[in-house]
Amino acid sequence: MAEALEITGTCASPGVAVGRAHVAAETAVGVVPPNDSVATEREKLQQAIMAAVAELQALAERSDEESTGILDFQIEMLLDPALAEMTEERMAAGDGAALAWVEALDRYIAGIEESADEQLRARAIDVVDIRNRVLRALTGRPADDFPPGSVFVGKDLEPSLFLAHDWTAGGGIVLFNGSVSSHVAMLARARSIPMVVATGGFEIQDGERILVEAADARVVVAPDEGRVREANRTAPSMYSADSEPMTATSRTADGIAIRLSAIVNDAAELALIDPALFSGVGLMRTEFLMTSPAEALDEERHYEIYRQALRWAGGAPVTIRMLDLGGDKPLPGVGGKTGESSMGLRGIRFLLARPELARIQARALLRAAARGTLDVLLPMVTVPDELEAMRAIFEAESDALIRRGVEVHMPEIGVMVEVPAAALMLDRFSRSAFFSFGTNDLAQYLMAAAREDQTVATLYDAAAPAVLRLIVQGVAAAEAMNRPIGICGEMASEPRHLPGLLAAGLRHFSVVPNRIADVRSVIAGLRSDGRAQKG
Amino acid sequence: MDHKPRQQTPETTDGYCQTQIEVTHGFGLHARPSVTFTRLARSFPCTVEIEVNDSGVWLSGKSIVKIMGARIRTGSILKIRARGLRASEAIAALKALVERDFDEEKKHGRSA
Repeated sequence: MAEALEITGTCASPGVAVGRAHVAAETAVGVVPPNDSVATEREKLQQAIMAAVAELQALAERSDEESTGILDFQIEMLLDPALAEMTEERMAAGDGAALAWVEALDRYIAGIEESADEQLRARAIDVVDIRNRVLRALTGRPADDFPPGSVFVGKDLEPSLFLAHDWTAGGGIVLFNGSVSSHVAMLARARSIPMVVATGGFEIQDGERILVEAADARVVVAPDEGRVREANRTAPSMYSADSEPMTATSRTADGIAIRLSAIVNDAAELALIDPALFSGVGLMRTEFLMTSPAEALDEERHYEIYRQALRWAGGAPVTIRMLDLGGDKPLPGVGGKTGESSMGLRGIRFLLARPELARIQARALLRAAARGTLDVLLPMVTVPDELEAMRAIFEAESDALIRRGVEVHMPEIGVMVEVPAAALMLDRFSRSAFFSFGTNDLAQYLMAAAREDQTVATLYDAAAPAVLRLIVQGVAAAEAMNRPIGICGEMASEPRHLPGLLAAGLRHFSVVPNRIADVRSVIAGLRSDGRAQKG
Repeated sequence: MDHKPRQQTPETTDGYCQTQIEVTHGFGLHARPSVTFTRLARSFPCTVEIEVNDSGVWLSGKSIVKIMGARIRTGSILKIRARGLRASEAIAALKALVERDFDEEKKHGRSA
């Protein structure tokens, strides 16, 4: 029997996993080419168009004459080289096929909708249908999914791959590099997937048995049965029985109500969370919902997800953060280059640079807001002008939807406070309906310590006092403006930070779902000024 | 209805055969008229271009995308021009198609 090989790393998400290793091929490790060539993008689009034509032709074969007329029209449109030409310019300017396609078609559709002829305006929907059909054909499954139940072993793991994978059969993650602050680590913690990072490279065959004891940051290759049994026996259950039944309301020891909302990264998580334990969704990250550019550009896909969150929340408010792309969260084909600076074109800067993308999401948000209490949070806002520019997009899209006879509601639009300059100047954001501290990024910008960089992780951890000082100031500014303010960073899920956050005056916390029991019980033991209850 | 193009004398300028006609049937009324028009235009080896309401912009009459984008409606003044082989024949055929309201009524069996 081969001797067990034991490796240590850093715990990114606790728990025990045992399974067959899926060793990610070196080439498949987070390296989407930063920009596919124009020729490749053109080829992808041509294939998607031909796939859409084939679908329509198959549909036409089993349709009545009236429908065939419409389908014929759509097929003729798709076969017209003018459509591809319209997208060409944008692809030459560096857009991926999906974005170029949607931008060109949206502009074209808007042209038809401006027509004075109602009958012609009615044709717009057929073109919308074409747009979506090709977009769907462009949707590629993220490459290299791995067998359910296996332990992913590789240099790094992309969030999209994590989200596309079925974790219901268990499994875990071991990364040679990686960081506890990475997005995939955040996702793993939210889903209780054991994860160990920074193990350094080690030898392991694909399919070999591997044991992950994440809490101890230990990985064992080819463990013996006794070792596996022992690990499983000592692993604390993630959901230990609570002494008191939990409800949505939480109170400090001195009786002050604290609002606890859920952080949601993936619509699939909703099914696993009991809505009765939360007062709605405090932060829904939309960039992780979209595993491909085609999805990010699909208004209906956005709308469906927002509807799902609203249904989950019942009547409670749901705060959706607009796509936070760029920096360490690139979406191939839409933008944000891998390895781009986390202080570059990302968050709202990216959305304003790609207004088509923002408009698609704004439309879906406006429509969904008519169906429940939906608020919109803008990522990485630095100056008030950015908020104004986004508000203008929402207003323009709202007008256009109303003209089309679509039911919309203007959501409250708030600012995510994660750039130090904004945090210091909250009083200037008079048009922001609410504020929410994003402490993950705030800490990295305050400390000039990239959170994906393991070598400066200690600085990142040491950020708390500086972050707290900014929070104290921010809460005072928001109160003076009579605007709600909360926190949706991971700090709010950490019991050790809760006294400081309460003392700073925060009363609304958005929490990672599997930490809710801890957070609630810690809050119950603290006074609203953050001091421990006596006796 | 007569499917053979009626012989008319299209104007000829700069080597183009050209004609002008008011659209009595909205192009937008149905997806089919634009399909019929572009298919007919493509059946000729010459170039076919259209201009709507003296916009000064000439678009390919063989492109359904361009035709839809031109937002032609009932009452629009449509200019059609063609150059090359069988240009005058193309102009006559396309004009006749517009005059026949794109054969729409007939296809729907609603002919009076």
